[in-house]
Amino acid sequence: MKKFGLWFMVLLIIGFLAACSGGKDDVAEKETTKDGKTVIKVAYKDEGPSNPVAVQYYEKLAEKLKEEKDLDVEFELVEVAQGDYAEKLSLLLNSGEIPDLIYFQGGDQQIANQDLLEDLTPYIEKSEYLKDILQPHNASRLENYPYLLWVKSIDYKVPVVRKDLLEGLSTADALLADPTPENYKAFFKELVESGKVDYATTVAGDISELNYIFDMAFGINKTWLESDNGYVFKKISEQEKAKLAFYHELYEEGLLDSQYLTKQWDTKEDAFYNGQAGVIVGTNGKVVDFYNSRAKEVNGDQAELAILPPAKGEYQGFGASDITKESRGLAISAVSPNKELVFEILDYLASPAGQQFDRLGFEGEHYNVVDGKAELTDKYYAEWYARYWEPVETSFDTPVSEKTPMLSAPAIESQELASSFFAEDNAFIIPEEYVAQWDAMENLYKEYSADIITGKLPLDAFDEFVQKWNEAGGEDLTKLANETIK
Amino acid sequence: MKKALKKMREDWILYVMLFPGILYFVIFHVVPIIGMKLAFQDYRIIGENTWVGLKHFQILFSSPAFIDVLKNTVIISTMKMIFIFPIPIILALLINEVRSGPYRKYVQSVSYLPHFLSWVVIAGIWISFLNPDGGINIVRNFFHLPSLDFMTSKDHIRWVLVFSEMWRSAGWDSILYIAAIMKISPTLYEAAKLDGASTLQQMRYITLPALASTVVTVFILNLGFFMNAGFDQVFNLMNDSVISKVDILDTYVYRIGLLNGQYAYATAASLFKGVIGLVLILGTHFLSKRFTGKGVW
Repeated sequence: MKKFGLWFMVLLIIGFLAACSGGKDDVAEKETTKDGKTVIKVAYKDEGPSNPVAVQYYEKLAEKLKEEKDLDVEFELVEVAQGDYAEKLSLLLNSGEIPDLIYFQGGDQQIANQDLLEDLTPYIEKSEYLKDILQPHNASRLENYPYLLWVKSIDYKVPVVRKDLLEGLSTADALLADPTPENYKAFFKELVESGKVDYATTVAGDISELNYIFDMAFGINKTWLESDNGYVFKKISEQEKAKLAFYHELYEEGLLDSQYLTKQWDTKEDAFYNGQAGVIVGTNGKVVDFYNSRAKEVNGDQAELAILPPAKGEYQGFGASDITKESRGLAISAVSPNKELVFEILDYLASPAGQQFDRLGFEGEHYNVVDGKAELTDKYYAEWYARYWEPVETSFDTPVSEKTPMLSAPAIESQELASSFFAEDNAFIIPEEYVAQWDAMENLYKEYSADIITGKLPLDAFDEFVQKWNEAGGEDLTKLANETIK
Repeated sequence: MKKALKKMREDWILYVMLFPGILYFVIFHVVPIIGMKLAFQDYRIIGENTWVGLKHFQILFSSPAFIDVLKNTVIISTMKMIFIFPIPIILALLINEVRSGPYRKYVQSVSYLPHFLSWVVIAGIWISFLNPDGGINIVRNFFHLPSLDFMTSKDHIRWVLVFSEMWRSAGWDSILYIAAIMKISPTLYEAAKLDGASTLQQMRYITLPALASTVVTVFILNLGFFMNAGFDQVFNLMNDSVISKVDILDTYVYRIGLLNGQYAYATAASLFKGVIGLVLILGTHFLSKRFTGKGVW
């Protein structure tokens, strides 16, 4: 009897809870405030209601939209739980709460597959400003995947070195004039032998950052390389094998950090600032700007950064840029009742007035207008960053004064260099049914490449890796690539 | 039934104290059971999920990666069970023998401390401690032994997991046993001493038998978590060179489920893990009941 009572209670609780977990609505309802303003829900990394700068940003944006576009909106910032943003956002969306405007940093494809993200193509075609500020890579990515928009300069990572380390090195000139992998190696060697650093370069946990410098030089100019037998995945190619042999040499000779596998992004940067590592790789533009100011702060003005060119060999460049889709960006919910309005806001942010607001901050706080030009304040450099579009060309109502440039000289140089090496990739989106195999194949590559570089496995083990990769699903994927890539 | 209700009314204050605990289990352990139906469905955020039967289980069991992570989970959990489980018991016995009050408190505090550190911090400490220039290798070099890179060594990484977990949990887990030892009547020890029993004999014939039921209960309950080989720990200590040795079910579910959005597939893997845990806990309970007369209930 007791047992029956216990089980009955358990079933009752489960039944009650199951009944509570009812169906999910298809269309969101339009929300307005008491004074008739349309509520726009925004999910954005680090931009929750607990961030006072974000709250102020959206309040001011609403004011500007009213003044300049006569739009009555109120932004409601959605608090995304602390932790990995992509993971927490995914949980939020999968719970059925879908804001009108969503910033993604991964995980968008699964949401798009469920037809929950709006196709932005028709909106962009009829936009007033956005269509004009799209960068070439943005346009290509939107063509393949029209759900995510992220107007920024090309996101290549570039190698940087402190100028005070560069001085007096006889190999530096040869490297800058002819950056072959051999000249890179000679430069790395002299850098270490000079006693100025412990090791020439370090990366955060894997070699993907190093690939920005060397991939193209070793002939890896696309994700799927053309061969006599059709397309071959770059990571199982002979070119990859030669590159891993080169990385192994760097490792063996103490030029590549012996602890790179356990390095995180913060310990990598620390190693650079405190002089353990000579060269690191960072995203062009803002990140290089940050590295530059931090390096100067720690080591003095003479530690300003120099930008190194990508290695030159069979090709030269920072790798092929994936144009299948943006890896991050903004999307509009397909179930939002405010889709047109949300896009109008995005378009406003691409206008000269919107760009000035988004990129320069608040007048009187982040910049002051002196003689018709915007002079940026210390607060701008300390805290401001653009939430939305950052095309290479700027078009503000008030131009920025030459006295206070938005980016440091090395950061601008890094942007220009990255843009000059833009090359399109031929990667395609991995279908959902391959996700588990893809995970296994990637893990195989990670482990074999790490073991070959660190000398735990001989270079010959690469052939064994290729065989295992094919068995783990690579053969099917290669077949798919040869059918998909035109 | 009436008797039970009467008893409940008498002890109402105890049930009030029990309520938050029950609520916690309902919210975090009963409700997720309902969510497990997702293992048999294709998930839709908007609209109804579609039933797909055992599709996700078929994909799961046919995936070689899943077999590998399952193997790693079992190996790492077994190693932890064998090498970590006895340590808190031994530590409790040793702490019980410390006669100086302040020293005893000091030992207890020091051994509890790592429990309060997050795995991110612990990973940072252990990585710098075990790197080729770290503390362990300085000691090895002193004895003319070559440096070892423990963190990237396939032979050593599982032991790093075992010892770091041991360091973190031994002190905290010993509390239960210390409490059980405290309950033993001092008269038993006094009588043993009069009979000429040595310290070791007192441990063997008084302390250990008194601890037996606690040990059995904790062991069986731990078995329920056998397939949880330690997500936070592995996630923070893993690197590219040792994936094949330490990639466990939880890290696999995290990557496939949360990062790649394959929620149904990941739920199938989680459900499988839960069923194994249930089988282990029930199996051990009934076996223990049969052979020792002691179980969880």
